[in-house]
Amino acid sequence: MISLDDEALVDSYGRRLVFDAPVNALVWIGDMAWFACGDGHAHRVSFAAERKTVAAHKGAILCATAHPDGQSLLTGGDDGRLVRLTSDGDVGEIGGFGRYWVEHVVASPQSGLIVAAVGKEAVIWKQGQREAAHRHGYSSTVGGLALDAKGKRLAVTHYGGATLSYASSADSSRTELKWGGSHLACTMSPDGGYLVSAMQETGLHGWKLPQMVDMAMNGYQAKTRSFSWSRRGKWLATSGDNSVIVWPFEGKTGPLGKRPVTRGALGALVTKVACHPFDEIIAAGYADGAVALLRIGDDSFALVQAADGKAVSALAWSADAETLAWGTEGGSGGLLAMNTLPR
Amino acid sequence: MPENQIPVTVLTGYLGAGKTTLLNRILSEEHGKKYAVIVNEFGEIGIDNDLIVDADEEVFEMNNGCICCTVRGDLIRIIEGLMKRKDSFDAIIIETTGLADPAPVAQTFFVDDDVRARASLDAIVTVVDAKHVLLRLNDSHEAEEQIAFADIILLNKTDLVTPQELEEVRQRIRAINSQAKMHETVNAEVSLDQVLGLGAFDLDRILEIEPNFLGDDDHEHDDAITSVSVQSDTPLDPKKFMPWLQKITATRGQDILRTKGIIAFPGEPKRFVVQGVHMLLAGDLQDRVWRHDEPRTSRLVFIGRNLDQAELARDFAACAA
Repeated sequence: MISLDDEALVDSYGRRLVFDAPVNALVWIGDMAWFACGDGHAHRVSFAAERKTVAAHKGAILCATAHPDGQSLLTGGDDGRLVRLTSDGDVGEIGGFGRYWVEHVVASPQSGLIVAAVGKEAVIWKQGQREAAHRHGYSSTVGGLALDAKGKRLAVTHYGGATLSYASSADSSRTELKWGGSHLACTMSPDGGYLVSAMQETGLHGWKLPQMVDMAMNGYQAKTRSFSWSRRGKWLATSGDNSVIVWPFEGKTGPLGKRPVTRGALGALVTKVACHPFDEIIAAGYADGAVALLRIGDDSFALVQAADGKAVSALAWSADAETLAWGTEGGSGGLLAMNTLPR
Repeated sequence: MPENQIPVTVLTGYLGAGKTTLLNRILSEEHGKKYAVIVNEFGEIGIDNDLIVDADEEVFEMNNGCICCTVRGDLIRIIEGLMKRKDSFDAIIIETTGLADPAPVAQTFFVDDDVRARASLDAIVTVVDAKHVLLRLNDSHEAEEQIAFADIILLNKTDLVTPQELEEVRQRIRAINSQAKMHETVNAEVSLDQVLGLGAFDLDRILEIEPNFLGDDDHEHDDAITSVSVQSDTPLDPKKFMPWLQKITATRGQDILRTKGIIAFPGEPKRFVVQGVHMLLAGDLQDRVWRHDEPRTSRLVFIGRNLDQAELARDFAACAA
């Protein structure tokens, strides 16, 4: 890796970007990075093509994910709409929910399902259907959504725990995972063996499935808002502390009884993490605006962008790992071309 | 208040007291200000503002071992969501339902670090219906708590009561909360600078309150909420005062609804300001220094149940340096 005293990589091997509003989500569709922003605009950016800007929502875009077709973007906004943006910039409404915010959206190319969180409900669309197929209701507002790798098992976090169901079925059986407190963002391991949620009180709560063994993963300074699984789910990188907290999920018992690895303590709170699609490298974004590449193996790091005071709010690798993209609360962002980096 | 923190005004009050009238008055006045308004989804209709967000009044217990520590999960979510917008606001106004418990609302601004970094409680404004409040106080816990938590009280609909009735209401409110600023209104008509942007938590007012001015109350029932004010003309030793305050709010936190104080420490030119909701305390040295012409009087106000004025005064005096 690059040594410490080199300049930030973005200036030599990347491009800085400026937007008009906070970047709230960042999604790669093919070789295009979509930056979803707080003014309702989504910007399609790549090294090769010209930037394209689409006015998708009246207020802020709160969430975004790739459409199951792999060609278009789904965005949810505080204007109560879930919309689909095509690469040409066409905007089509998938659902409208009045004054309710669309705060979370997940989708699966495997199952073709789209699930959006609207208040206390998960609204589910099936492949090829215009109207929502059905809704799953919960006792409190949905804090987070996750689909397993097959896109069938849906995890919904809320106050008092999480609920597992089969998203494609209107009257699916439900598995209640109970744990006191308010559960926010959640993630399922690629093999479906673990569900991990971020707590309002800070810290993570994990359930080993299907036995539902509880795992407390505490000690975080702030709420965890970003999770990322390394290739094949070997590691789970998490934000919410002064370093990236990396939990080992290899073997039969995962992180049970093991200590996490901490990497990249550069001074500020880690706000975003993204594991490299293939290698044991984590991209980390910080509350002071810094972006760094960290090795899981030896705690060496390379600075992608120096701190500029704008908290990193979005971070994602392209699927081929050729490009890293990031965005900030201050409306800035960048792209880094990995294939041009000296090895 | 740091510039990046958005002031939050909370409007409470029983159904029909005039909250929505006050809210519409705030929103319709020509002031060039931009507000985000958070209302309850079952609330009264007819609010005219660009950005209205529905709250669900979801009260969450914090899983942190503190038995009375509850927060409003919906407010945390909404305030975080509002910060994702391009344009910021001059203020956030939260209208609660008539039956809302103010404690979780206030505690949200103490407990959640992300909310605290971005927003700060400017004032809790409680609208009281002069005609019906005495009845409400007799049959509802919430009406009493809403008055107890108030920084500002709008004693509304004063045209519907006789001067004698009004005086009785005033006395009753003062017995519960001696430190809130009270405005008497008809149709919630009040100058907006009396309810918004006050930094009511800067607490200067408590220095103006005469301690014990109520004397003995003869009309109280056992669990009635009262205010107790204690003072010391000798600066306090922080090594004595802080542990005492922490202990008393930790052990008596369920009874103590609010704590507010301005404290002088020896040799410290700045005023130490402390405020609390139940067991949660936040204290800070203010930018504001003690002026040469003002006495360095430390004063602390507790609002709550089962408060022993004599005991609190004695313990407070014992914290003198």
